[in-house]
Amino acid sequence: MEIVQAAMAGTLESSDLLVKVSPHDEGRLELVVSSQVMRQFGGQIRRVALETLARLEVEAGLVVIEDKGALDCAIRARIQAAVLRAARCQELDWRVLA
Amino acid sequence: MTLCTLRRSMLFLPASSAAMLSTAFVHRPDSIMFDLEDAVALREKDSARLMMFHALRNPVYRELETVVRINPLATPFGLPDLEAAVRAGADVIRLPKTDTAADLLELEAQVERIEMVCGRPRGSTRLMAAIESASGVVNAVAIAMASPRLMGIALAGFDYVVDMQTERGDGTELFYARCAVLHAARAAKIDAFDVVFGDLDDEAGFIREAELARRLGFNGKSLINPRQIELLHNVYAPTAAEAAHAGKVLAAADAAERDGLGVVSLNGKMIDAPIINRARRVLQLAATSGIRR
Amino acid sequence: MTEPLEFGTVDPGREPLAAAEIRQLLAACELELEAGVQVFLVCRQGGQLVACAGLEGGIVKCVAVAEAHRGGSLSLALMHELGCLALERGHSHLFLYTRPGNAARFQGCGFHPLVEVPGWATLMENTPAGIQGCVRGLRRQRREGGRIGCVVLNANPFTLGHQHLVRSAARACDWLHLFVVGEDASAVPFRDRYSLVRAGVAGIERVTLHPGSRYLISRATFPSYFIKDRCIVETCDTAVDLLLFRQHLAPALGITHRYVGTEPFCRLTRKYNEDMRTWLEDPALPGPPVQVAELPRLEIGGRPVSASEVRRLQAAGDFARMAALVPPATLDLMRERHAATAVAAL
Repeated sequence: MEIVQAAMAGTLESSDLLVKVSPHDEGRLELVVSSQVMRQFGGQIRRVALETLARLEVEAGLVVIEDKGALDCAIRARIQAAVLRAARCQELDWRVLA
Repeated sequence: MTLCTLRRSMLFLPASSAAMLSTAFVHRPDSIMFDLEDAVALREKDSARLMMFHALRNPVYRELETVVRINPLATPFGLPDLEAAVRAGADVIRLPKTDTAADLLELEAQVERIEMVCGRPRGSTRLMAAIESASGVVNAVAIAMASPRLMGIALAGFDYVVDMQTERGDGTELFYARCAVLHAARAAKIDAFDVVFGDLDDEAGFIREAELARRLGFNGKSLINPRQIELLHNVYAPTAAEAAHAGKVLAAADAAERDGLGVVSLNGKMIDAPIINRARRVLQLAATSGIRR
Repeated sequence: MTEPLEFGTVDPGREPLAAAEIRQLLAACELELEAGVQVFLVCRQGGQLVACAGLEGGIVKCVAVAEAHRGGSLSLALMHELGCLALERGHSHLFLYTRPGNAARFQGCGFHPLVEVPGWATLMENTPAGIQGCVRGLRRQRREGGRIGCVVLNANPFTLGHQHLVRSAARACDWLHLFVVGEDASAVPFRDRYSLVRAGVAGIERVTLHPGSRYLISRATFPSYFIKDRCIVETCDTAVDLLLFRQHLAPALGITHRYVGTEPFCRLTRKYNEDMRTWLEDPALPGPPVQVAELPRLEIGGRPVSASEVRRLQAAGDFARMAALVPPATLDLMRERHAATAVAAL
């Protein structure tokens, strides 16, 4: 999926996460994660995030995540929503979202 | 005989709220309804749909009955909501603003198609019709009989009273609608669900309305706050006397079976199957939520 | 039962009644309705205004929450809605000024502090990856040496005076980092200013040219610079930009010296240069100190070369005089633009 515009999904409320996606000026994929529980869960958040982005075939973009203690299912959902908005994609392929 | 599915409490969750989706199951309602419709702003429909999709796939929600209220199929959101919900494994799809049997059949056709495409066992997705207008009320029987997938009908109070050109009050305004929906449900042998009680600060008012619903025969009620769950379960809990009587009925039934008698009797009166089944339900309720406080 | 909160927008220029309501709420929070705000996000409860937040491009201003609603979830919801509104208007990277005491409140709403001018203001941005990304990029361009210089030019347009400054600075250093102001708010657009600078310094050795950044003389860091009729500027107006340079940008490149030309014309630029010594050299302030070196402006025909003079000559069509003040590339561009303007006016 190609990131063509800046977009975001989610909120900074407790148990949620705010995901901001935008085109990368160097044409690569960069993931920035910030979390209150960075030490304990930072690695896991990154893993789930990269996996979600890989399934969507996102190869370039700046993805910034501010986590407020979200579960994996929320991480996947918000990243997918932000990417779909950033790619201006209307058609959903449920096999890659699952 | 298998125990019937308890559906006393159906907790509404806005699918856009990560906080609620992360914690709602803790309160143990009988079923959880992920709302993609009225509780979600237009701008957030896409994000909420994905939240619902992924939450449903979380093991924690596999243990509860899950309902998804999709947007009407006539909106651009309805069909994508349905695709997501069926694929994610929702137990029941709640169709808002069901006015006619045709509305329900349209939904059924789409669900059939999606089940086939995504490989979900045919018939595993049940349906619930929400009656929110005068048309829906007068068509309630046709709606209730329209599909074998239909497991219940719910009366949605807010939109209904607007359509009736009145407002929510002491319940008089829902009198006919409640009865119509109930009778339709009973004739079709499916469940009936009462309206949402919106005033979270009026506990006494909630209990009064819940008791009315129970006495009328509603299987359960839609809730908008976890605080209401325990109050509602208590309203549905049998009294000590009721539980004791139910115990006697079942004892008599067991005795008759042991003795090979064709007829069950208690205190000189004949007891037939419906009464025995009701006694089983009473004891099931007692086992689940105890005796009425 | 509490009434629901409703969000909406107000155009302060076209809705005087709503603007008056906003002014009242701001006054109650000891704030003024600042000029320049293009749109307000407002929150009402039962018709009453309970919160507001203003946007000028990508800069957040005039954020106020009625006392009864402070400390709850309204601030978070307000700033979230503001982010959505800004995104709709094409701004995903937001900056915000607030009193240092309020910074914590905004941190809970997704803003991250960039620099604080004690007792006056804190500049914040709405991403944890903003200044860090910029600094990482700059670090990759570090050069070693005991004396690393920096020059920041608007170059509107690039003149022989600018060229002289850059050449002199480069000669005095082991390496020179040259920045061109990135905001497109000058007569000559950034793309042209930048290419003229690049052409003009091509022959000068040991220079790295950087395109401007949002963190260096931008609408975010130095708003006064972009106000049409620049008047006297307070010392604190320049502090944010200079402290940001000292605490983040200069250390990334190892900059030890900042070079400026003497400023006989523009009061604001002169003030900025003076303030540089205050904010960059004082060892007591955070960040390694940067020495300020003021180099005399190039004079031609007995007068200091100035870009504003060049623009004046362009407007008058006097390219003969201009030729003495600018490199050939600048002359060509100014001539082209003059011709284009003349055609457009027909």
